[in-house]
Amino acid sequence: MFFHIVLERNMQLHPRHFGPHLRDKLVSKLIKDVEGTCSGRHGFVVAITGVEEIGKGLIREGTGYVTFPVKYQCVVFRPFKGEILEAVVTMVNKMGFFAEAGPVQIFVSNHVKIQKESEVRLKVIGTRVDATEIFCIGTIKDDFLGVISDPGAAV
Amino acid sequence: MTVPIQVIQLTDLKQDNNWLSPTKERRGPPLPYLFPFPLRLRSNRRRRRRAAARAKPPRTPPRSGGGLPAPRADLASAAAMGSIESFNRLVRLAARAFYDDISMKGDNQPKTSRGDNRGMAVVVLDALTRRQWVREEDLAKALKLHSKQLRRILRFFEEEKLVTRDHRKESAKGAKIYSAAAAAAGDGQPVTKEGEEKVKMHTHSYCCLDYAQICDVVRYRIHRMKKKLKDELDSRNTIQHYICPNCKKRYSAFDALQLISYTDEYFHCENCNGELVAESDKLASEEMGDGDDNARKRRREKLKDMQQRIDEQLKPLQAQLNRVKDLPAPEFGSLQSWERANIGAFGTADPSAADPSRNSQGPYNGTPMPYLGETKVEVALSGNGVKDEGAESGTNGNALKVLPPWMIKQGMTLTKEQRGETSNSSNPDEKSEVKDEKKQDSKEDEKSIHDEYIKAYYEALKKRQEEEEAKRKIQQEGETFASASHSERQVGMKSKRDDDDDGIEWEEEQPAGNTAETYKLADLNVEAQESGDEEDDIDWEEG
Repeated sequence: MFFHIVLERNMQLHPRHFGPHLRDKLVSKLIKDVEGTCSGRHGFVVAITGVEEIGKGLIREGTGYVTFPVKYQCVVFRPFKGEILEAVVTMVNKMGFFAEAGPVQIFVSNHVKIQKESEVRLKVIGTRVDATEIFCIGTIKDDFLGVISDPGAAV
Repeated sequence: MTVPIQVIQLTDLKQDNNWLSPTKERRGPPLPYLFPFPLRLRSNRRRRRRAAARAKPPRTPPRSGGGLPAPRADLASAAAMGSIESFNRLVRLAARAFYDDISMKGDNQPKTSRGDNRGMAVVVLDALTRRQWVREEDLAKALKLHSKQLRRILRFFEEEKLVTRDHRKESAKGAKIYSAAAAAAGDGQPVTKEGEEKVKMHTHSYCCLDYAQICDVVRYRIHRMKKKLKDELDSRNTIQHYICPNCKKRYSAFDALQLISYTDEYFHCENCNGELVAESDKLASEEMGDGDDNARKRRREKLKDMQQRIDEQLKPLQAQLNRVKDLPAPEFGSLQSWERANIGAFGTADPSAADPSRNSQGPYNGTPMPYLGETKVEVALSGNGVKDEGAESGTNGNALKVLPPWMIKQGMTLTKEQRGETSNSSNPDEKSEVKDEKKQDSKEDEKSIHDEYIKAYYEALKKRQEEEEAKRKIQQEGETFASASHSERQVGMKSKRDDDDDGIEWEEEQPAGNTAETYKLADLNVEAQESGDEEDDIDWEEG
């Protein structure tokens, strides 16, 4: 499920960036640092949509780096148990297949007669959430689930 | 042919639960049982209600607290005496269903046919149904078992949550304290069984069946068995488990990402690099093979068959569970409280108190009490705006809740509708009648008189209703305007009352300045569907 939320982060900025474009530098660094990461609590950060507030910088002793508390809005994606997702099959082996729905990897067991690259609709039946990683287990054994487009048939 | 029920051990189930824990490491200590609390809560509440309904404290006039628990406890203990037989039957059935061929072997002992002690578990459980708290040595002697053997069995049952055990070092000092207490209680030498071993310094173990928990355990076990089969049958929402045939390490599908090998198409063990095999097939069959359709079909059939046999063979157990469901479970309390009850009984030399029912007497019957508060909160929570709307929409002649008698307690301020009472103006004479009725009741429970009274009461009510109907018609014809204002008022009142319905904490929301007229109108609406069967439980506090 996608959420649009406000998160906060302390950004360290090198002194060489101090100048008229400090703010732009900060934002671009934020985007570079944060987009695409995953936290167990909020899920995958898909995109930063805006910066709400940049607090007062604090010069670190010794290094000269400055720490800014930054509040930013972002879109996050967090899979939940019971959620229906559409995913692309990335790997098939004897135990089942792996699929990806955006950044999330999903494993579906016991289905071996599926082609790589095909699209499936699946239901998440379990999520394993670590601090920096989310992994899901899905099933396609339910109503309206299964392959929705075959790579062979489409072409 | 019997179901291989033992396949699904509780220990297995605990492991199954492990995927719930979000941590990567799933080999830690098994999760604590999660289930007893909700289940216990419910059963306790039910027990409580029944006890309260039986005790009917509101019948007696309000008195200063303290004296109240006594009748309730008496009745509850009497009920416990009646129900203990059914609980014992439940234990015996469960023992035969689940613990019939459990062999109490240490892993180091060779399994010879001579030392085969399957069925021992059943014998021990049976013996426990005939006792309360018992010292394990005594039990061993009675069963002619070696105490080590017995201890192993009991430890197993403790893990299965059927038995509570207590270990105690009976030192000289403890014995001194004990004998002092006994002396203070009035008789020179202690009469209870601890008397002779007070000088020794040994640890003694005691054990006792925990009936309330046994019910929950058995219910949970059956539930898990059925659920597991059902899940397997439609292989839905089950998380595949894998096991390494070499080192027996277990993995779940959550670990799939780490287990992929890039050399072949199987999962490989992290330890020994062996090929993993899918594990959940162990229930159904060996011939599962590569999962071709034929094997799958056979497997389904097998599962279905197993399901059927479970239903069939557990039918008596299930029936007994249902029978026991609403009965208060016999509780012996902890060893200390049980003993205290016993010592008390012996100390006062009261023969009636010395019978087995003493253990469920109020003060020592500790466990249900902590749940009381929670129950209250739960009920109170449901009272909200949603209900309000419902009440408003039901204004025209629909549904004021009548409180069941067990909910009405002393000190509650209730509206008349909630009590099942209807007419306001006829109160004074009826009150006296009700009081008469109460007296009769308290003297002896004469059902027939009571019924007759109710009949007469209804007759009077009906007459009254008709009269008022006529009166109201006249009124309405005369002043339509006024009645409109009344009905508006009515709406407000009702919603308030319904609010009251939902909480247990009763607030004095009843508007004091109600005119008799509004009352009549409201009451007319209600009377039609009033059941009004708890007149005898009412304390009159208002009016």
